[in-house]
Amino acid sequence: MMERPKVAFFDLSCCEGCQLQVANLGEELLDVLGLIDLVEFREVMSETWEGRYDVAIVEGSVVNEESEQRLREIRRRSDLLIAYGSCATIGGVNGMKNRKPLPEVQQEVYGERADWFPTDRTRPLHQLVKVDYFIHGCPIHPQEFIKVLKSALAGLPYQVPDYAVCVECKFNENVCLYDKGVTCLGPVTRAGCNAWCVNNGNVCYGCRGLVSNPNRAGAEEVLREHGLDAGLIANKMLMYNAAMEPCDE
Amino acid sequence: MTQALIAKTKLADLVSFLALCGKVVGPVPLGHGQFKFAEVRSLAEMALDYIPTILPPKKYFMPQYETLLRYDGADGQQMQAVVEVEELVLFGVHTCDLAGIQCLNVVFSDRPRDLHYMIRKNHITLIGLECSDYCDSYASCAMLRNHLPKGGYDLFFSELSDGYFVDIKTQKGEQLVEESGLFEPVSDAAREQLQELRRAKKQIFRSEVPIRYQDIPRLFDETFDSDVWTRIGEKCLSCGNCTNVCPTCYCFDVMDEPDLDLTRGRRIRVWDSCQHETFAKVAGDESFREQRSDRKRHRFNRKFRYPMKRYKRMFCTGCGRCSRSCMAKIDLKETLGALMEERG
Ligand code: SF4
Ligand code: SF4
Ligand code: SF4
Ligand code: SF4
Ligand code: SF4
Repeated sequence: MMERPKVAFFDLSCCEGCQLQVANLGEELLDVLGLIDLVEFREVMSETWEGRYDVAIVEGSVVNEESEQRLREIRRRSDLLIAYGSCATIGGVNGMKNRKPLPEVQQEVYGERADWFPTDRTRPLHQLVKVDYFIHGCPIHPQEFIKVLKSALAGLPYQVPDYAVCVECKFNENVCLYDKGVTCLGPVTRAGCNAWCVNNGNVCYGCRGLVSNPNRAGAEEVLREHGLDAGLIANKMLMYNAAMEPCDE
Repeated sequence: MTQALIAKTKLADLVSFLALCGKVVGPVPLGHGQFKFAEVRSLAEMALDYIPTILPPKKYFMPQYETLLRYDGADGQQMQAVVEVEELVLFGVHTCDLAGIQCLNVVFSDRPRDLHYMIRKNHITLIGLECSDYCDSYASCAMLRNHLPKGGYDLFFSELSDGYFVDIKTQKGEQLVEESGLFEPVSDAAREQLQELRRAKKQIFRSEVPIRYQDIPRLFDETFDSDVWTRIGEKCLSCGNCTNVCPTCYCFDVMDEPDLDLTRGRRIRVWDSCQHETFAKVAGDESFREQRSDRKRHRFNRKFRYPMKRYKRMFCTGCGRCSRSCMAKIDLKETLGALMEERG
C-alpha cells in the first residue's frame, strides 16, 4: 500500500471551534483517518512531527509577528496549505479589530499592560502566504471539509461557490427569513454551507464572507427597506468581513 | 370513460389508496403562507388551497443534485450510467405547474435527448387541480394562457360543490380511476357545474398585463436596449432565487465527486443559474454577460422571446414565483409594464 499522506492541523488566532468540528465528525472521522496519516493535531493528540507535511490545515488568522513567523514556517514545510475556517480564510470575527486604530484596540483589551502584548492588524492567511484551498465558515461545514480534503488528496481543484447562500437555501425550500420579518445576509454571502444556519432556524450571519462581486448598494437598499439604519447594516456586513483587503471587496 | 366524478367525502380515501400503491407527493403548508411539495400519506397533511410552492414540481423531474453516473478508476476508467428513479404520484398540481412540466418535456426531448429526464418522467403520475380563483396577486397565468387545463396530466380535478369533476387523459389515469373504485360516472348536473366554474373564471381571470400573448415576444425584441434593464440591474442581488424557483429554468452544472477512497466517485449535475456571475464566464475570465442588467435581460428574453423562436411557446407559466421570491422585489408584471411604457 502507498504511504498515506502526512496531514497536520495548526491553529493561529481563533477559538479552535473549527478543529472541534473535525473531532466531531463521528463515523466519517474514522474513514478520514483511514485515508491520511495524521501527524499533528493538538486538539486530539500530543505527538508532533519534524518532517515535511503533505497537507497543512491551518486555522485562525495572523494577528502578530509571532503568528506570522509560524505561518511562514508551516508554509515552508508543507506541499499543500489549506486555510481552514473564517479566521483563516477572511479574517473572520478577529477582523473587528481592524475597524479601529491599533493602539485604541490594545488599550481596550489590555489596559495598562498594552505594551506587553505587541499586536498587528488581523490578516487572513492568503494575504501573507500562498493558500491552495479555502474552507470557509464559522465554524466550517463538516461536509465541505471532507469535500475539500478529498479534492486536495486527489489533486483536484475545489471551486468554492461564488454565488449566494440563497441558492442553497432555496434548494432546501426554507421559508425565506425576510418573509418572517427577519433580515438575513444570505443574498450577499458565499454559498457552500448548504444554508446550514437557515436550515436550522437561524439567520445567515455572513460567516463565509461576501461573494466576490456583491451588489452592496442593492443589498443595503433591501436591508434599509427592512428598517435597518446604516450603522447596523455596516455592523452586520463587517462582523466577518472587516479584515478583507480593500481590493478583495 | 374519459371523465368521472369523485365525491369530496371520498377524496381522503383516494389519497390513502394512492399512498398504499406508492409514494404520493402533494402541497404541504410550511407556515407564513408558504407551501412545498412533499411526501404525504393522507389528505389531512395537504393544503389543496395553496399558492405556488417554493420550488415547483420540477424538483421531482430534475432534482437539485442528481447522480448521472458512477465511475471507478481502479482498473482503467469504468463508468456506469445511473438513473435514480422512484415511482411517484404528484397530487394537486395547478395548471401553471403542469405547463411548466410541459416546457421541460419539450426541452429535454429536444436533441440531444436527456435520457435521465425522460426515464424519470415515465415514473411520475400527474394529478392536476384547477384553480377556481387567483392564488395571489403575483400570478399572471391568464396572460400566458395557463389558467385553464391544456393537458400534460393523467388526471385533472376541478372542484364542484360537493365533488370533483375529473378529466381522464391517459391510460395510467384510467387505471387509477378503475382500480380505486372511488369514482362514479359524470352527471349532467356536474357537467353544468363545470361549465359554470369556467364561466366564472372568464370573469375572474383576465390578462394581468394589458398585452396580448402573441405580442409579447415583440415587446422584448423592441426593448433590448431599454433603460429598464439598467434600472433592474442596479437592484438585482444575483441571488438566483428567480431562476431556482422557476418551473421552466433547467440550467445545470456537472461535476465529479470522489468517494473517500479517491478512486471511485459519482458525476452529479446541480442546478445552475444565468443570474450567477460565474455562469457566463469562459476561458480567460471573459464573460458574455458581465453586468447584472445583461443577466436580467437575458432571463426575461429566455422566458418570452428566444423559446418562441425555437419551440413556439413561451417559457413563462405565469406562476409568479420569481416575483414572490425576489430579494430585490423585481416584479415580472411590473417589468413588463415598465417595458410597455418605455416603448410607448
Ligand atoms: S432566508 Fe436568507 S438565505 Fe434564505 S432565501 Fe432568504 S435571504 Fe436568502
Ligand atoms: S448560513 Fe451563513 S452564517 Fe450560517 S454557515 Fe452558512 S454562511 Fe455561515
Ligand atoms: S398562477 Fe394561476 S394557475 Fe398557478 S396557482 Fe396561481 S391562479 Fe393557479
Ligand atoms: S418567469 Fe417567473 S412567473 Fe414565469 S414561470 Fe418563471 S417563476 Fe413563474
Ligand atoms: S431573485 Fe431578484 S435579486 Fe435575485 S437574482 Fe433574481 S432578480 Fe436578482
